[in-house]
Amino acid sequence: MYGAGILKGLWVTLKHVWGTYAKDIKKFPRRYAPGGILKRTDYDLYGIFTLQYPEERYEMFPRFRGALMHLRNAETGQPNCTACGLCERACPHGVISGIESEGKGKERKATAYHYDLGRCVFCRLCVESCNFNAIEMSHEYELSRYTKDFVLGLDDLLKIGDRYGVHKTGEAWGVKE
Amino acid sequence: MQILDDLWIKIAMWLRGLFDSFLPPWAAQLVMDVLGILLLIVVGIVAVLAFTYVERKIIARVGDRYGPNRAGPFGVFQALADAIKMLTKEDVTPTNADRWMFLAAPIVIIIPAVLLYAVLPFGRGMIGVDLSIGVVFIVAMGAIPILSMLMAGWASNNKYALMGGFRAVNQLLSYEVPMVIALLTVVLLAGTMSTVGIVEAQSSVPFILVSPVAFLVYFLAGLAELGRTPFDLLEADSEIVAGYFIEYSGMKFALFFLAEFINLFLVAGMITTLFLGGWQWPILPSWLWFFIKTFAVIFFIMWIRSTFPRLRVDQLLGFAWKALVPLSLVNLFLVALISKLVETVWLRTLIMLGSNIILLAAALLIMGRLFQKREAKARAAGEAAVKRYYAS
Repeated sequence: MYGAGILKGLWVTLKHVWGTYAKDIKKFPRRYAPGGILKRTDYDLYGIFTLQYPEERYEMFPRFRGALMHLRNAETGQPNCTACGLCERACPHGVISGIESEGKGKERKATAYHYDLGRCVFCRLCVESCNFNAIEMSHEYELSRYTKDFVLGLDDLLKIGDRYGVHKTGEAWGVKE
Repeated sequence: MQILDDLWIKIAMWLRGLFDSFLPPWAAQLVMDVLGILLLIVVGIVAVLAFTYVERKIIARVGDRYGPNRAGPFGVFQALADAIKMLTKEDVTPTNADRWMFLAAPIVIIIPAVLLYAVLPFGRGMIGVDLSIGVVFIVAMGAIPILSMLMAGWASNNKYALMGGFRAVNQLLSYEVPMVIALLTVVLLAGTMSTVGIVEAQSSVPFILVSPVAFLVYFLAGLAELGRTPFDLLEADSEIVAGYFIEYSGMKFALFFLAEFINLFLVAGMITTLFLGGWQWPILPSWLWFFIKTFAVIFFIMWIRSTFPRLRVDQLLGFAWKALVPLSLVNLFLVALISKLVETVWLRTLIMLGSNIILLAAALLIMGRLFQKREAKARAAGEAAVKRYYAS
């Protein structure tokens, strides 16, 4: 009969209203899982599917290329970077600049390093050119800023590196030394 | 229960006594009237704030989302935040707009919306004015927003707004006809045009069980009058951006928004009054029953909005003139005939219900047959075109 489809459609939407609330009540105190949507794997046809962003975040896949980060030497805690400038040369966009250093020979350490986030295309050529395990692409993807100041210094990059704890460049890519 | 039932009336009488003690009678009456008007407006605005939140929640749940959940616990202050945003926004008038008409349109749309609250019976003895021609008042006031929509569309100096205004006029005028005929059926059943009289006439059986066809026609026409989703052509986002109020911002837009939701409450209240027995039901206080029924109707309207896509313009007008008008006319004829022929009340009710169900089934069958035929024709034409293409 004409009109049966209308009732069927109404029934489908009603089931979703009722089903999502039933799911919420069943898991009453937990509205958001802090570990992200991957931890809420028990959803079937009903239930909230959307990622509740500020409370939940996706865990990026291992080879995700976010902002650049500087790595530390695992023993001394000093940055691995020797300010050789190879990454500056490898960069196709002039993103890396203003590298300064102090010390001679094996003691040589970077004291300044400027990375312009606004111009980076995340190609990872700088990481491939690096001979000292000094830089790697992090999983940092919340890159928006309130000001136009997108240039990150050495300290900022080291801070990102501390957050992600990669100790060898190319770890995620399966590169062996 | 009796105390709860009379709660608001008792409060009103106490207030009246209080004012009478130190004011002359005319002044006391004036103060009471102003208080009543303020109460109705406050009820309207609070209802709007609640409905915007509830509607967004329901639509979100249909789409498996949470809906607003940032402002306050479960996002309950979202409507309040929206209101503050509206109030603090810049008020823009477009260049070459018809200034005075542009200013007047929101006022013209909000006043009849608030005026209609006067004839809505919220409970036993709780009504602004018990007009003996309440139904006529409803129809007359319900027609004024059309004027406002055309005013807004014309004065905005914007092609989308004008298009929205045109659409509003043709849609609302077409749906006024079946709506009035359905109202006439109710008036025929109740034998009175006063809204209180109509509610009292439903003390044994609500009119939805006497004449479901009239209810259906009134409900669909009400949806179209509100411009809600299967009939939201007058503000179709994907076609004409926002319709007649596209150029409005700030408080003027808020007035349009307010009028839309006040009208939603009104149409739901009218459906409650005319078909669901108004405030009549045992046990709970009468005003509570009115609000429960009204909210049920509003939930149903929101549910429909979250389920169905928009109709095309020709389908919309075709549905009004080819389906609803004949259906409501036949129903009116049937109801008039049966109420004259059969004298016993319960037998009359039963026969009316049966004839209504048969009428509805027949209408649906005929419509289904017609649509099948049209579909077969279109499919045959399409297949012929494909065949021609491969033959060439």
